[in-house]
Amino acid sequence: MPLDFRRFNGPEDSVSYTRFTQDFLKSYDELHNELINKSNLRKDGRALDEARSMFARTDMISQAKGSAYVELKKTKVVCSVFDPREIPHQNEFSQLGQIFCEVKFAPFSCSRQRRPAAPDAEDKSLSVALRQALEPAVCRHLFPNYQIDVFVYIIEHDGACLAAAINAAGLALADAAVPMYDIITASSIAIIGDKMFVDPTEEEEHVAMISPDSENVNHGIITMSMLSELKQVSDFIQIGSMDTDCVIKAMDILEKECAKLIPNIQQVLVMNVVQNIEQQKKLEEEAKEREAALNAKLEEWKTLLNAG
Amino acid sequence: MAGPLLSSTEKIFILHGVQNDYRSDGRSNIDYRPMELETDVVSHASGSARLRLANTDILVGVKTEIDVPKPDNPGKGKIEFFVDCSANATPEFEGRGGEQLANSISNMMQRAYHTSQAFNLKQLCIFEGKQCWKLYVDILILECGGNLCDAVSLAVKAALFNTRLPFVKAALMDGGNVDLQLSDDPYDSKQLDIGCAPLLVTLCKIGDKCVVDPSAEEESCSVISLVVGVTGNPKFYCTEDTTNILNVECKCSTIGMNGPGSVAPKTLKDAINQGIIAAKCLDEALGKALLRERQETIVMKKHSYGFLK
Amino acid sequence: MPGPDLLSSQGLRLDGRRPNELRRIRCKLGVFTQPDGSAYLEQGNTKVLAAVYGPHQASKSKTSTDGVVVNCQYSMATFSTGERKNRPRGDRKSQEMSLHLRQSLTAAIKTELYPRSQIDVYVEVLQADGGAYCASVNAATLALVDAGIPLKAYACACTASIAWRGSEPEPLVDVGHVEEAAGGVCLTVSSLPSTRSVALLELSHKLHMDYFDVVLSRAMQGCRDIEVILDRAVREHLAEGWTKQDVVTI
Repeated sequence: MPLDFRRFNGPEDSVSYTRFTQDFLKSYDELHNELINKSNLRKDGRALDEARSMFARTDMISQAKGSAYVELKKTKVVCSVFDPREIPHQNEFSQLGQIFCEVKFAPFSCSRQRRPAAPDAEDKSLSVALRQALEPAVCRHLFPNYQIDVFVYIIEHDGACLAAAINAAGLALADAAVPMYDIITASSIAIIGDKMFVDPTEEEEHVAMISPDSENVNHGIITMSMLSELKQVSDFIQIGSMDTDCVIKAMDILEKECAKLIPNIQQVLVMNVVQNIEQQKKLEEEAKEREAALNAKLEEWKTLLNAG
Repeated sequence: MAGPLLSSTEKIFILHGVQNDYRSDGRSNIDYRPMELETDVVSHASGSARLRLANTDILVGVKTEIDVPKPDNPGKGKIEFFVDCSANATPEFEGRGGEQLANSISNMMQRAYHTSQAFNLKQLCIFEGKQCWKLYVDILILECGGNLCDAVSLAVKAALFNTRLPFVKAALMDGGNVDLQLSDDPYDSKQLDIGCAPLLVTLCKIGDKCVVDPSAEEESCSVISLVVGVTGNPKFYCTEDTTNILNVECKCSTIGMNGPGSVAPKTLKDAINQGIIAAKCLDEALGKALLRERQETIVMKKHSYGFLK
Repeated sequence: MPGPDLLSSQGLRLDGRRPNELRRIRCKLGVFTQPDGSAYLEQGNTKVLAAVYGPHQASKSKTSTDGVVVNCQYSMATFSTGERKNRPRGDRKSQEMSLHLRQSLTAAIKTELYPRSQIDVYVEVLQADGGAYCASVNAATLALVDAGIPLKAYACACTASIAWRGSEPEPLVDVGHVEEAAGGVCLTVSSLPSTRSVALLELSHKLHMDYFDVVLSRAMQGCRDIEVILDRAVREHLAEGWTKQDVVTI
């Protein structure tokens, strides 16, 4: 692991002060009970099966070929996609193009700890999961021996960051005009006992990852990405412990959630195209104006010359 | 990793075999290849196991160290998985060549062992908030013949079954520091409770069907495989009367996908069910083999083979 | 010279061996099917696996027109030592060992037969209990034989140390981990015993010139003894005829 020399990291055995606050000392049951209020609503006022509304837009970063920004309330993700380039350090010719993914957390993105600047195991596993999700969606045979770089930067992490990253990456790839088979969408679900939290927040994810003391309670997180038109699952990741019925039930919910996102993403993409066309029109008009002005100037000079 | 070189006709042959439920080595789609398992093969480790699944050869050593528990989990120990792809398996692994494969396997293992219903970290606690055991599970891949995930998870479970932690004889509190005295007698030690430890089952999608335990040739015919981690049943791992032990139901502890392809939701559901059934059979067979070996060790009948057989 | 007390009053060493006695060597050729040659060797509690791939076309950066390039990698399993190792290879010691291994094996292989080619030798130490380098050389030799690569002679390696019985020097052959850790002299010799030549010589700690010859000759004797054992193993392996690899290829 390369050491981070650029900044002062503090002593290795230091712990966050939040450890000593009231919130930290809560027991599992307290944390669990807090998640849902009496009228069966979550802390942020959503119902259990209600996803957060997604805000998305493309064309965020001018240097990148394509980019996208996705926001699910407090989860904020930026993704940029760069032009295909030859695969570096490779001797063999590869028939299919490759996708290189890198997911990074901002140092200040998580509420529980400061993220290290160097990528840790979680960053790496997210990168692998993202690549797994994107590979089936992209027409990789169209750019043999080339690789597309996809960089995802998580600005703020409040749950479901992998799903947000996949959605953002799908949008950014489309913005970069990379040929794809279908729109890719992802959604995640947290399971605590018999309750299923669609599109969980960080707090809900945290509780779902802790194993309760009582034996044999289902808990865990599932993230699934779908190519909805083709009815294909491109990635499926489950952590925790749950029985098959629970997994299958969650899968059905996730399938619907993924489909729900499609109109939203389509709208963003259409907007993107419309905007681009408008911008092009505007540019063409400006060019015409400039040409007209130039011609007028030329005429003027010509008359001056003729007169002179 | 580049698999063995296969021509397209050979691939079609394998594909047709899978469709007719009769694979090229005579197995059906739900059969495993024969395995050899030996525990206690490395004397420098607290527990070890070597598993040979046809061509796949895995050596696992468990080393124990005393560590300070994490502040947010004061009552729990730690477990860490490290996979090393030896260049003995293929020259591609020379230097750092095997790192990507190694990372993906250790990630999968770490996720499968995450829940306390699979492996209870509380049994590794010595002194709450002060001292705990840290288990380093080091997995060495000596030869790759397909189906690495399953073989690794079986070998890890066997090695953990074989692991012994010395008893703590006394602890001295000196200021804030704890000074432990451990028992020197190798027989004066406790075993780990690993009945629930998960097994990974890889389901390789070839054509329209899923097969378990793919060989290297079969792996190169498929674009997508599904890995299901299923918790074990403690009933299979104890010698005493099994009636008073709760019959724990198998649960999924992790699911992941590998490879550039995708699957239909229906196939995914079927594959998960198929994986759970396969894991149950594997778990029972592993439990039997481990108990038999332990019995042989007790009556001093066990031959140590290592790599010499 | 007051060295550490490596000999008991009866003249036995810490692990009960006589000064000129090797640890038990057990070995097997052809343990794996995928490599072109492989071998497993156990020297006391030191256990080593070796695999050989090649000869095959050399990678561009390594090509040599004079002879074959021997590419070695020495790695130690993380659980091989008493204290857990963090990295199996890539540290300074493993890199040095890889170089030393290459030197010994290049001396034994008839390199001129395969110009522009490369032979990969991978050694994996499963358990280290002193003399890991020697066991690696011996195992690699067996793996090379198993791969059918023409050798000039067996390359054997052995260590030797020195102890004192009264004021008389008494050389010790095949140093174990305990003796190594006790801080005595350790002379590592890698040689081709049948040609009576030395391929590599390494000495740790200081040793008076007067005693060098005795220690060296004891180490050479150890190499000759090991050669006999290796030779017998090779003959037994060939007499068995059918190896796993043959079965697979047929």
